[in-house]
Amino acid sequence: MDGIAGKSPALTWVVNISALLLVLLWTIPTFGLLISSIRDKDQLATSGWWTSLASVERNLIERSSAPDTQVLEAGIYVITGNVFGTEQGDDLGEVTAFGWRSQQPTAFEPNTVAQMNKGLTLSVGRNGDYRLTSPVEFTGSRGKRIFITSIEAPKFTTNNYNEVLFAEGLGRSFLNTMTVTIPATIIPILIAAFAAYALAWMEFPGRSILLVTIVGLLVVPLQMSLIPLLRLYTDIGIGKDYIGIWLAHTGFGLPLAVYLLRNYIAGLPREIIESAKVDGANDYEIFLKIVLPLSFPALASFAIFQFLWVWNDLLIATVFLGNNEEQLVMTGRLREMLGSRGGNWEILTASAFVSIAVPLVVFFSLQRYLVRGLLSGSVKGG
Amino acid sequence: MKLPLYLGIAALALSANMAQADGHLKFAPGEDARFHWDSYEALKSTDLSGETITVFGPWLGPDKELVESVIAYFEEATGADVKYSGSDSFETQIVIDTEAGAAPNVSIFPQPGLAADLAAKGHLTPLAAGTADWVRENYAAGQSWVDLGTYAGKDGKDELFGFFYKIDVKSLVWYSPENFEDAGYEIPTTMEDLKALSAQIVADGGTPWCIGLGSGGATGWVATDWVEDFMLRTQTPADYDAWVTNDLKFNDPKVIAAIEDYGSFARNDAWVDGGAGAVATTDFRDSPKGLFASPPKCYMHRQASFIPAFFPDGVEVGQDANFFYFPAYASKDLGKPVLGGGTLFAITKDSKGAHAFVDFLKSPIAHEIWMAQKGFLTPHKGVNVDAYGDDTLKGMGEILLGATTFRFDGSDLMPGAIGAGAFWTGMVDYSGGKDATEVGNAIQATWDSLK
Repeated sequence: MDGIAGKSPALTWVVNISALLLVLLWTIPTFGLLISSIRDKDQLATSGWWTSLASVERNLIERSSAPDTQVLEAGIYVITGNVFGTEQGDDLGEVTAFGWRSQQPTAFEPNTVAQMNKGLTLSVGRNGDYRLTSPVEFTGSRGKRIFITSIEAPKFTTNNYNEVLFAEGLGRSFLNTMTVTIPATIIPILIAAFAAYALAWMEFPGRSILLVTIVGLLVVPLQMSLIPLLRLYTDIGIGKDYIGIWLAHTGFGLPLAVYLLRNYIAGLPREIIESAKVDGANDYEIFLKIVLPLSFPALASFAIFQFLWVWNDLLIATVFLGNNEEQLVMTGRLREMLGSRGGNWEILTASAFVSIAVPLVVFFSLQRYLVRGLLSGSVKGG
Repeated sequence: MKLPLYLGIAALALSANMAQADGHLKFAPGEDARFHWDSYEALKSTDLSGETITVFGPWLGPDKELVESVIAYFEEATGADVKYSGSDSFETQIVIDTEAGAAPNVSIFPQPGLAADLAAKGHLTPLAAGTADWVRENYAAGQSWVDLGTYAGKDGKDELFGFFYKIDVKSLVWYSPENFEDAGYEIPTTMEDLKALSAQIVADGGTPWCIGLGSGGATGWVATDWVEDFMLRTQTPADYDAWVTNDLKFNDPKVIAAIEDYGSFARNDAWVDGGAGAVATTDFRDSPKGLFASPPKCYMHRQASFIPAFFPDGVEVGQDANFFYFPAYASKDLGKPVLGGGTLFAITKDSKGAHAFVDFLKSPIAHEIWMAQKGFLTPHKGVNVDAYGDDTLKGMGEILLGATTFRFDGSDLMPGAIGAGAFWTGMVDYSGGKDATEVGNAIQATWDSLK
């Protein structure tokens, strides 16, 4: 940038810093999602992802052992145990406060003795060992509630991913989405490439009218055609099935595909195509051997668009596919999870990551074609 | 590299499905004497092998597992393949599907109003002849259930389209008995006491209520239940009935007063967990969890009988959680009104299997399997009440019996565009701070436009 007239170094810095800030602003939420998705679910419910490396303080309600475990010691009835359960480990946490009433769950320091109602006493040690005493016999079928505040070391886990992929059915939906997306990306590209070549390089009457009609189709809102199309599918026996959604996505994607590819292909040097014709190649050979390899950037950029659009689509999948296990796509599954598991952030964040993983891979592997394909189409025109 | 990965995922998904298929009957047939196994054996005479029946309803998560546990018996006995799918956006999805002719065989409607709309458009198939008589004889207050399921078809003729299965008592307040005991609170028996208790809890530094309206495409229905409960507690049953049919306008001062009564709870920052702003955004399935937090985020939660299905794991109803009747005003002489609701099954695509499935719902076993688990009440007189999973459900039955007035959920009876539309969004607006009169006017305007 240095040698460019009129650009001071200060300005360059401002530009660079703003760019950096924008990038940070853009990536922080995603980063937060990632961290949240690998945290332990109980810790996630208590504190934000930015505190994930610090120990977590949690308020828990535990219950003492049932009255049938009481023993008589020197005239008083005693129940003992550990609030963290029977298995004792290092990562179970440390008690920093305890209480016996829900109104004051942190009233007492560990190792002190709390006086409860009716002469009962409770003490809880740092390691979670508790001792509950009573002058009269404990009755009933359940233990007393013990409120503790515990400090736990940060925990990270891949269990959330296991759960969403297998228990919550996201794995199945992932395959369903793949089943929808791959054909719904390839079919329109195939058709559009042929059409674009014909519209760019083959002379036939009404060619420009046809092109204008196709471009005109871009402004038709697809939402209008959903119900009539589904009714048509039902009448001809396709019903709610994958073939229907492939056809729908193909139809909805074609106008843009034809338009983009046609502009790109029309911009290829006339000399190449003419010399091929002179050498005796027919249109099919020219298309296959010359035009297709040369228009790879345009094909790739459209493929990215179509892939992302189909991958993220909820509306069309909702209309043309059922809500059952075999057909529910990932966006649909996420929507249902927002409802049924709305409070389980570990589930939602992990699901979100599963759903963005593939588009990210697709985008980064093809992105170097994106700008090239788009620009060459739009700048040259035809 | 990718292919083996997909194959691996596919294999895992497949094995998970197979694991589910084994031993999917919750209670082994013939073993538990609480159940009417004879009705299960009788079911075996219907052979539906090779037949697929699609069932679509609003139940997801725990409810989905529960309904599938019931369906499993039907599949086992008849050999039919029943595919249940649930959606949070049932109300919109079913309209699309029936409109396009791609409807499931059987649909489970949470609202009679929506079913009536679809019946009028000719999208529902009338139930088999004799079903109405069966309901009249075998359901408690049978005639009222027949009336609620009878709509005018496309030809204008009244027929029975909906079969009620699973009803809910809505006028319940859930609480944690141990939290009440710790704080020394008594269960209120009048609305005045309830309000005094709420104020008392605030004075003690707590938050009395957890209220959440969120429910995907159906966000807002929780608040409509509150308003209906207050309509029954401030106005006569005749006024309530007039309101449901719009003879009493939505912007009538009586209705506005009921909405504002709800607002005295939900729009009071100190009375609701998270403040009034959190009401509309909290999911109704998450809001009861505040009862069981340490320290408790709230002490009371007004919700229908099905809500224990959404309590956190390990919460025992009857021990950790219990309920009391959402009380009536002592100052008004309106008795003890109870609000209820229910889901109805209707045939959206005719088939032999669909009719057989509705027949299955008549058998006691279809009710007992769910009763023995949780969140299920039934008016079926032929079932063994000992099958109820806990005493809590019995207690709800008593509230039902002790009612001086029983009314069905009003929003469910209103036309779909109101009861499953304008009323919901209106209540979300109101909870968000809009004026009650303005909301009443807007809902009435929508209703006028339907006429």
